[in-house]
Amino acid sequence: MAMKKLINDPDNLVQELLEGFALAHGEQVCLTDDRLVVRAREKEQNKVALVTLGGAGHEPALSGFVGEGMLDISVPGEIFAAPGPPKVLQALKTAQREAGILFIVLNHAGDVLSAKVAGDMAAKEGIRFEQVLTHEDISSAPRTDPDNRRGLVGCLPVIKVAGAAAEAGRSLEECAAIARRMEAGMATLAVAVSGATHPSTGEVIAEIEEGTMVVGMGQHGEAGGGTQPLKTADETAEIMLEALLDDIDAKAGDELFVLLNGAGATTLMELYLVLRRVNALLKERGITLARSLAGEYLTVQEMGGFQMCVGKLDEELKALWDAPCDAPAWTRS
Amino acid sequence: MKALDYPSLIRAFEGVIASVLEQKDHLSRLDSVGGDGDHGTTMARAMGKVADALAAHGEEKIAVLLQEIGWAILGVDGGAIGPLLGMMFLSMAESAEGLEVLEGEQLAAVFEAGLSGLLAQTKARKGDKTLVDALVPAVEALAAAARAEEDLEAIFSAAAEAATAGAEFTKTLQARFGRARHIGEESIGSADPGASSIAFIFNGFKKGISDHA
Repeated sequence: MAMKKLINDPDNLVQELLEGFALAHGEQVCLTDDRLVVRAREKEQNKVALVTLGGAGHEPALSGFVGEGMLDISVPGEIFAAPGPPKVLQALKTAQREAGILFIVLNHAGDVLSAKVAGDMAAKEGIRFEQVLTHEDISSAPRTDPDNRRGLVGCLPVIKVAGAAAEAGRSLEECAAIARRMEAGMATLAVAVSGATHPSTGEVIAEIEEGTMVVGMGQHGEAGGGTQPLKTADETAEIMLEALLDDIDAKAGDELFVLLNGAGATTLMELYLVLRRVNALLKERGITLARSLAGEYLTVQEMGGFQMCVGKLDEELKALWDAPCDAPAWTRS
Repeated sequence: MKALDYPSLIRAFEGVIASVLEQKDHLSRLDSVGGDGDHGTTMARAMGKVADALAAHGEEKIAVLLQEIGWAILGVDGGAIGPLLGMMFLSMAESAEGLEVLEGEQLAAVFEAGLSGLLAQTKARKGDKTLVDALVPAVEALAAAARAEEDLEAIFSAAAEAATAGAEFTKTLQARFGRARHIGEESIGSADPGASSIAFIFNGFKKGISDHA
C-alpha cells in the first residue's frame, strides 16, 4: 500500500521532526546536539529534575511535555522505538544535581531495558535518581500483574503533578511519592477504529476491519483486545468507562480526572461527544468529574481511536494539577 | 582451525552483517505479527553500527572489538533489542579481557558470559517466545563443542544449527513477553523475530568463519 505521508529520507525522519518541533516551540524547548529535548530556560539546580524517554512518532508526546512545571529533559528514540542507553545516560548526566532526578519510564520492554542499563551506569557514577514506572493499561494485564501492564497516556498526568511538585521545591522522595500516588489511582483503556502506517517502513501497523473497533489497543497498534462492531460515541464511552472505574474501584463521592487522548485520526468532535457522555455516567454514580482534558497528546500517526485515562484526585493532586505549566503541549497559567 | 583470533573475529562479524541484512524484510514481516513491524529496520541499523565499529579498526584486540561492537549496538535506538544485544557483547568483552585468541574453554566461557549478561537484563526465559529461545541452545551447543576441542567450523555450525532450531521452535510457542504477548494465542505459528535474528547472527558467524577457513 502506498503511504500518503509528506516525509523525506526515512533515516532522517526523527532528527528532522525534532528540529521542526524545536523551531515551533522555541520559547519553551530546545534540541541539543546530542538529540535531547531540554527546556529553553533551565530549572534552578536546587529543584528536582524530571527526565523521561520514549520512541518518536507519537507527537506531541513525549517531548511536547518538556517545559516549566513539567519535564526537564525528554530523550526521544527512533520511530516507535526507545532510545538506546547511551543517550539516556547522557540525559541523566545532563540533569544531574544534588536535588536528584525523577526518572519517569513508561512500561514498554524497550524503554524499561534502556532505562535499566542507563540507570545502572548512572548509579555507578553516583547520579542520584528515583525511577517511577507508569503501567496503567488495563487491557494488557490485571492490576495484580503490574509488570505486564503497559504505560499509555497516563504518564502525562503523572508528569504534570510530579513536575508541579518539583517546581514547588519538593524533595525527590516527595516528588516520587506524588508520582506513584497518581499512578496507582489511575487506569487507561484504548480503542482503535482504523489503522496506521509506520512512517519509516510504510508497513501497516494495525489492521482494523471496516465497521469494527478494537478495544484494548496499545500505542503502536499492538493487537490484544476485543474486536467488536463499531459502536456510537455514547456506547463506546460506557464500555470503556465501566471497565476503568471497575479497575480503580471508583466509588460515589470520588473525584476523578478524565483524559481523552485522540490517536491521530479521531476528531476533537468525537472526543467531545465521548467526554459529554462520560460526565453524565459519572454523575449517575455520584462521582465528580473534577478535571478533564480532551485532545491529541500521545498519537499513533493516523490511527483512528482514542485512549481514555481516568484517575483519582485528592486536594493535593488537584492543586498540583492546577499549578501553572508551560510546555508545548500542556500550558496552564 | 581451533582458535578464534582477531582477524577471524572480524570475518565472523562480517558474516553476521551480511546474514542479517539479507533477512531485513523477512524480520520486519515477522515483527508485524505481534509488534510494530520494524525489527528488520532496527537490526539493519544495528548492523550499520557494527560495520562502523569494524571499520574503525582501533586497537587490534578481541576485547576492544567486542566492547566497541557492544557500545555501538547499545546506541541503536531500537527498543529492546539494542540493550539486549549490546549488553551481550559488552559482557563478552569483559570476559575476553586480555585474551589474544579464544579457544576451547575460553571460547565457551566468553559466549556464556555474553548469555548471562543478556539474561541479567530481562525476565524472559526459555519458552517465553523471545530471542532467549534461540540464544540459550546456541550458546549451549557452542560451549559444548568448544569444550570438546572441536574446530571452529564445527563449533559455529553446531551453534548455528541450535539457534535455527530454537527460532523454529518459537513457532510452537505463545508469546508471554514483550509487545507480542498482547496478542496471546495469535502468536502461535509464527517465529519470534528476535529469536530469528539470533539464528541469522549465528548463521552469519558460521558463514564468516567457514568461508575463510
